[in-house]
Amino acid sequence: MLLFDTVFNGNDAVYKLTEDAVNSAIAQHGEDKAVGFPDTAYGLPCYNAVTGTKIKTLKDIKDAMGVVKSLMTRERRINDAFMSGVATALCAEFIEALKYIDGATPYAEPCYGHLADAIIRELGVPLVTGDIPGVAVILGSAPTAQEGADLVKSYQEQGILVTLVGGIIDQVAEVGMKTGANVRVIPLGKDVTSVIHVVSVALRAALIFGNIKPGDAANLMKYTFERVPAFVNAFKPLDDVIVACGAGAIALGFPVVTNDMDYANGVKVPKSLIRLEDVSKFNAASLEARDIKIKITHIDIPVSYASAFEGEIIRRGDMQVEFDGSRVDCFELVQTKEAAEIEDHKIELIGPDIDEFEVGSKHNIGFVVEVGGKKMQTDFESVIERKFHTYINGGEGIMHTGQRDMIRIRISKDAFNAGFRAKHLGEILYAKVKNDYEAVVDRCQVKIYTNPEDCKELRHGLVFNVFEKRDERLLSLTDESVDVYYSCILCQAFSPSHVCVVTPERLGLCGAVSWLDAKATNELEPEGACQIITKEGVIDEKLGAYESVNTAVKKYSMGALEKVTLYSIMEDPMTSCGCFECICGIEPMSNGVAIANREYAGATPLGMTFSEMASMTGGGVQTPGFMGHGKHFISSKKFMAAEGGLERIVWMPKELKDFVAERLNATAKEMYGIDNFTDMIGDETIAEDPETLFTFLQEKNHPALSMDPLM
Amino acid sequence: MALTGIQIFKMTPKKNCKECGSPTCMAFSMKVAQGAADISACPHMSEEALATLADATAPPMKTIKIGAGDAEYTLGGETVLYRHEKTFVSRPRYAVAICSCMDDATIDAKLEGLKKVDYERIGERMYVELIYVNYSAEDGQDKYLDIVKKAAATGRTLVLECTDEAVAKAALDICKDSKPVLNGATAANAEAMNAVATEAGVVLGVSGADLNEIYDTIAKLEGLGNKNLVVDVTGADVKTTFANAVQLRRAAIKDGDRTCGYPSIVKVAKLAKDDKYLQEALAALFTMKYGSIIVLQDMDYDQALPLYGLRQNVFTDPQKPMTVEPGIYPINGGDENSLCLTTVDFALTYFVVSGELERSGVPCNLLISDAGGMSVLTAWAAGKLSSGTIAKFIEEQVKDKVSCRKLVIPGKVAVLKGDLEAKLPDWEIIVAPNEATQLVKFMKEMA
Amino acid sequence: MPFNQKPQKFSAKINTVTIGTGDKAISLGGESVLPFYTFDGDIENAPKVGVEITDNGIDDSLPGIKAFYDGCASVADMAKKASQMEGADFVVLTLVGGDPNGDNKSVEDLVAIVKEVVAAVDCPLVVKGCSNVEKDAALLPKVAEACQGTNALIMSAKEENYKAVGASVGLAYDLNMGAESAVDINLAKQLNVISTQLGVKADRIAMDVGTAAVGYGYEYVVSAMDRIRGAALSQDDATLQMPIITPVANDSWNVKEAVASEEDFPEWGPREERGIGMEIMTAASDLVSGSNAVILRHPQSVATIAKMVKELV
Repeated sequence: MLLFDTVFNGNDAVYKLTEDAVNSAIAQHGEDKAVGFPDTAYGLPCYNAVTGTKIKTLKDIKDAMGVVKSLMTRERRINDAFMSGVATALCAEFIEALKYIDGATPYAEPCYGHLADAIIRELGVPLVTGDIPGVAVILGSAPTAQEGADLVKSYQEQGILVTLVGGIIDQVAEVGMKTGANVRVIPLGKDVTSVIHVVSVALRAALIFGNIKPGDAANLMKYTFERVPAFVNAFKPLDDVIVACGAGAIALGFPVVTNDMDYANGVKVPKSLIRLEDVSKFNAASLEARDIKIKITHIDIPVSYASAFEGEIIRRGDMQVEFDGSRVDCFELVQTKEAAEIEDHKIELIGPDIDEFEVGSKHNIGFVVEVGGKKMQTDFESVIERKFHTYINGGEGIMHTGQRDMIRIRISKDAFNAGFRAKHLGEILYAKVKNDYEAVVDRCQVKIYTNPEDCKELRHGLVFNVFEKRDERLLSLTDESVDVYYSCILCQAFSPSHVCVVTPERLGLCGAVSWLDAKATNELEPEGACQIITKEGVIDEKLGAYESVNTAVKKYSMGALEKVTLYSIMEDPMTSCGCFECICGIEPMSNGVAIANREYAGATPLGMTFSEMASMTGGGVQTPGFMGHGKHFISSKKFMAAEGGLERIVWMPKELKDFVAERLNATAKEMYGIDNFTDMIGDETIAEDPETLFTFLQEKNHPALSMDPLM
Repeated sequence: MALTGIQIFKMTPKKNCKECGSPTCMAFSMKVAQGAADISACPHMSEEALATLADATAPPMKTIKIGAGDAEYTLGGETVLYRHEKTFVSRPRYAVAICSCMDDATIDAKLEGLKKVDYERIGERMYVELIYVNYSAEDGQDKYLDIVKKAAATGRTLVLECTDEAVAKAALDICKDSKPVLNGATAANAEAMNAVATEAGVVLGVSGADLNEIYDTIAKLEGLGNKNLVVDVTGADVKTTFANAVQLRRAAIKDGDRTCGYPSIVKVAKLAKDDKYLQEALAALFTMKYGSIIVLQDMDYDQALPLYGLRQNVFTDPQKPMTVEPGIYPINGGDENSLCLTTVDFALTYFVVSGELERSGVPCNLLISDAGGMSVLTAWAAGKLSSGTIAKFIEEQVKDKVSCRKLVIPGKVAVLKGDLEAKLPDWEIIVAPNEATQLVKFMKEMA
Repeated sequence: MPFNQKPQKFSAKINTVTIGTGDKAISLGGESVLPFYTFDGDIENAPKVGVEITDNGIDDSLPGIKAFYDGCASVADMAKKASQMEGADFVVLTLVGGDPNGDNKSVEDLVAIVKEVVAAVDCPLVVKGCSNVEKDAALLPKVAEACQGTNALIMSAKEENYKAVGASVGLAYDLNMGAESAVDINLAKQLNVISTQLGVKADRIAMDVGTAAVGYGYEYVVSAMDRIRGAALSQDDATLQMPIITPVANDSWNVKEAVASEEDFPEWGPREERGIGMEIMTAASDLVSGSNAVILRHPQSVATIAKMVKELV
């Protein structure tokens, strides 16, 4: 039989049942008899929420039956099935409402039946905050009482609110499990119609917390779908009525997981109807289907974990064992995988554990942290990987230095004696990655290798391969090759009107925010400091002037800046906050620029020190002829590209020159064919005044002297 | 529209002759653009360039100097309405008012009283800079000259309020060398007062019934060639005075109306009408918005501590954070055996941390090392706060002065612990909580 | 030639947030001019002054406060007395005792106090948390429940716990929410954005953008408020158009100038007078920077600031 027919049949059956019940109630009490649930301001909440009509009497129900009927269309289309599901749910509410006539108390311990508005207000808050990450509706009887209770317990431990309908109520009682709102396990009732009481919770939550107007069915469905993280676990055997109710659940956005493998086989409602024989897998399947992420509040390791341990140093004498990437093959790596390839929270140790090593000995280690998620991008791998140092250092008695394949990890004797083993490194990484990168990482598993052969093979194969690809990607990332740039306003606390425009070739002027960092920040914190800037409305490509950039800068500087160019220091140059690593400024005599870095305290040929230049350039004010920037920007092809590029550099402090020499010379060679460009650039040992510098530049035949005048 | 440094540079002779005092023409031009140097300092500018520049680079608000020698103060010269737009440059100066209508005892008490408030806060001397001397016609010229003499004897700079030009002239004869302000020009006497002030070479204060009258009088005085003015914006009530102060400043800076571009005098003493607490509120109000000389009835510590603190904050350059002197600061009676804690020299951090430590009641020593005036994390990121800088400071300036060998470091730089243990082997390094608000509990647990 | 007056009235305006019910209800905000710039346009609602009391009862170290609350046997008595203070527009109950690092009073005990206060006063009520984000996340939803129907303002919703506070205060019990951030325009903005995304209505949010006592980094407060008001009015930034309410008392009474004893600093004179000065000047500065309401502790400060506001509006 087709699922459609099952739903329709179930719906018809329930409708008939309801009609009979209403009629007999009218016969008994008369049409004007008041109906309603206790302690709610919403009448019959489900009917009210869907239609906007408050039912007060039996006559109202009779009229409402006509409305319900109108939902019961019978085309074999998915929407018809959904609407029939909703109709079934409304009928269930009528049947339940009849039970409460004359202030009756139809439900007795442990069952709750209808839940008061006050309980919803109370449960609603943790639902909104995510403290209750989800709502499970468990229906029917599990294969065994123990399996049923285990499933309930698994949800309970995750903080999920569990509601029970039918046989499962007796099953959990049988194994002696406590129930009640205070332990977040709520038995509703034994009739299948009592399931409406949890639907009522979901819909009233939408009215109270979502500000949905009763009768606004479209937004109601949208709200329950987006904001009420409920799902259904229905045990076999299913019947038509349950399936019809299930269609209602799916219509509200609540997926159904069942172990009834036979029912309506062959019908696929992806992510919404899941058949699964093994009840112990219901939990994981339900959470994933409903996209529920459980916050990890506790890292399961035998030592303390806090940022205060970050600076701890473990000396040789206190050390149980050491992994040293400078001597033997070690590495750490984040790799993106398909979600299906990852079993969440699987931590695998491949090779001997720490207790098999001699005290004080040196070994190989390699971690591969495999992550997957709908929003995960390979660009985030290195961003996540860079955090490993901080993550691992947080463990008491664990020290980590370095990154990529040059890592060193020491584990103290105290930590070892407390029971710390290799897998606990995995626990730390798992917990931190899942928590900090919740927005992009849905699943995470960790493989730890300690065999020298494995580490060697992986390092020279997989790992180098990935590093190489990443480096290539970084090189290929140019301002032209990407579609968007990012704004960064991290330092507006100090420099109120400053906005950095971060592009692949121009990192933030603090030197700390690259385009990839900004991208990750934006993904993780969509309302945060880094926002997307599209590249639209080219005004002047050479200057790097775009309408969209100007609009963004105006917006994020709160109107203080009208326009900036990306590549010019003369025309609307980018502003500087105060955190810049370097400042460059025009040296008129040599027709070039001199650069001073923050560490340099001496004089420059401009006649100004770094701090004098800083006081004129900082504070988010545009100062043509002067610009703050990061050290790495000096060797960028985009360095004052509009004025001819880095060929213009005529002076910088020696220390800075040495620091940037390799990369600067490489770019100068590539762009202009100049060898050892830094030899042509003056420094404080050569000149601190423009005249001496000019003579030096003439001797060296510096290209800036013959370039177009800067001004 | 203000000129950029580059635009100014193009008009300079580009000779780097250094005669202006700057090492290069570029450096000079940048200073002029900022308002930190006057274009006339360059002896080699062409007449034409000077004319263009003088107009374009003149600040929208005049910088007026009052007083002489150590007691010389700069008023005005502001270029923005809000400090975050750039910075405020001239802090308001406070005056205590005396009047020839008061009896001698009252006057003596006031002159004596104002001397009591004199202390230092983060490198700045806090005291009553000015004495405001009111002339009461009823009590006659002699009495006035008497109190002018008394006030002048304190060495503080005077502001004379007197609309009678003969009396004013006599008063100036006594004190003109110390460059007081003569607050005396009105629509009625502008020309005569102008002559008196100009002859004595002092700043002239302008007052009037309303902004229109004030504006006309300023224009008249400017027409007479006097641009050495301040404006008494005090009106009949608080509301009018505030409106005058704000509108005048706004017209100067936002609308570029130079006739409005003079510092102000606000007579809070008059507005508060003997209500000491209202005077406190209004003193703060006009310190925030656009008072240059603020006249008070009295100055005591109740008022001085918050008021000078407010002024010091509001008139700092946003780009140059306030710093405290590096050194050992004992707290709650800390001595050489007390626990040592260290943090940066950024004044705000110092105040927050020392405040919490004081609240804990536990004796301790707060060690402040030079971190370039940055907050903990910023200083750490910039390399101004590192295990090296802390160790060096401890070695050079602390270890001989204290015998305690426990050092608490900020929680945000817990990462320095290991390095510090290596560099300071006989010290126990302890990591504090991340936030200062957790310090009270932490200290109580440590004690 | 007369002075060329150019009024600067903005087309944007600050949201109006109403606190309390009935005759005594107050409205914050509603203006489209800068603070006290009456010469630019009308100020619909004059800034308001609130009196802070705490669950710890009377601070008897200050004679003026002790005398004012003389005879009060409970926090509810104090609330009643505070509501009658000269110049007071509303009463603020700060649940400082809830702080786990302090007295760590239970949620139940504190809510019981809130209930008593709700029953005792008919003026608008503001409740502030204990400043510990976890505790407040548990406490404030219960406080909101206890304040149902009073149209109170529940403060202390921070970025870390705005969901719990916002969902209960703004959604479940339809009260006003105070969004607290730390002296930074972007943090204030972000909290407003995520709070409204949560479903809290924009006209039910008042911002507590933080303050410092004057002399203690107050420049950041000035700039943060100047910029927030600038963005709200001249940029018409709807995410910053919430009125600002500023708790002044705690910062003012906790700095050295207001804490140090007269024995230690004899030249400074009585401690109470110094604290009043601190409180008055901080409040005056906050108001002229953009606060639509200030929260004060001392009767003298409340009377003075109310008087100043009256003179200016």
